[in-house]
Amino acid sequence: MALPKDLLEILACPKCVREPGCTGELEYRETANQLVCHHCRLVYRIEEDIPVMLIDEATPLEE
Amino acid sequence: MRCLVTGVAGFIGSHMAQRLLEQGHEVIGVDCFTRAYDLAFKQANVGELKKYKGFQLVRGDLAQMQLLQLLEGVEVVFHMAAQAGVRSSWGEEFQLYLNHNVLSTQRLLEACRGMRIWRLVYASSSSVYGDQSAYPSSEEVVPRPVSPYGVTKLAAEHLCVLYWKSYKVPSVSLRYFTVYGPRQRPDMAFHRFLKAIGSKTPLTIYGDGNQSRDFTYVSDIVDANLRAAEAGQPGKVYNIGGGARATLREVLAILEEVTGTVPLVSWEKPEPGDVRHTMADLTLAKQELGYQPKVALREGLARQWAWMCEWLQKDSGLPAPLNLSSAAVKQE
Repeated sequence: MALPKDLLEILACPKCVREPGCTGELEYRETANQLVCHHCRLVYRIEEDIPVMLIDEATPLEE
Repeated sequence: MRCLVTGVAGFIGSHMAQRLLEQGHEVIGVDCFTRAYDLAFKQANVGELKKYKGFQLVRGDLAQMQLLQLLEGVEVVFHMAAQAGVRSSWGEEFQLYLNHNVLSTQRLLEACRGMRIWRLVYASSSSVYGDQSAYPSSEEVVPRPVSPYGVTKLAAEHLCVLYWKSYKVPSVSLRYFTVYGPRQRPDMAFHRFLKAIGSKTPLTIYGDGNQSRDFTYVSDIVDANLRAAEAGQPGKVYNIGGGARATLREVLAILEEVTGTVPLVSWEKPEPGDVRHTMADLTLAKQELGYQPKVALREGLARQWAWMCEWLQKDSGLPAPLNLSSAAVKQE
């Protein structure tokens, strides 16, 4: 199931969001069930419709 | 109303969220699903909440994550996320307590500055009192925690008061007295006792059994939170207890009645950090919040036993069937 738009709007990358000039913007990849931070090159998984916004559990973006 | 419930997958947080959802409110829940205990309990709690349309959940750590956007449109924050447990708060584990109890609370309060929040209700604890010379404990006595856990809960409580005084973040702190009921954490006494009785193994009591607690049923805690959100005075602290005190020996007698089984008991030495007695003075909560505990200990334990029986039966590793007849009490 796709994440609701209003939920996506309140999510930000916890790693870079506090850096000056960074918004923590995430790209939602619905098919892959992932949220991607291009600034940190980290992938946050979505597990059973729950976004997992934990830095320790993010994986490197491999592309 | 839109509410933020932190620690939403936990014992009390999940009950809080469920009541709000039943009342038709929107709930945004946050939980970091720490591995402090078996995640199956948290997953089961969240499973109940996901049945409601108005529920959304983010898995995140309040000490790390972006909080401003999360608070957008939120009117009431129920801050229940915490690293719980008195005995495990000594030693290296203390860092977790600082992170989840102090830093997380400070970040949340900081994020609330300038937001249009009606109330932030903080889940404090009777453990801030420590051992007192007289009972019941009123909010006016000097807190003397006897565990690092109690120290962190008190520190966060002080932060709540400070952010009200300095930045008008309308926080209200509730000192919970030994909460029990269905979904109770597996490390908590009644959960361990009932599980031991259900599996016919000895339960462990630390100390002589004459230590006493003011036990509070979880639905009374939820009631208190709703009342605090509506009528709690910002910057204030309220005791929330069950209205009666019982020793562990008295609890054992009730457990025998409720389960129909004589508990097997293994007696151990008291552990550092355990207080001897707790008892809440509820005068302030009654006067200012209109709080009145409704569920007596026997009834509450019967409800928890009914839940425990269901839980144990789901777990194929434990003996079944259990005697459910003695637990056949009306559920809320």
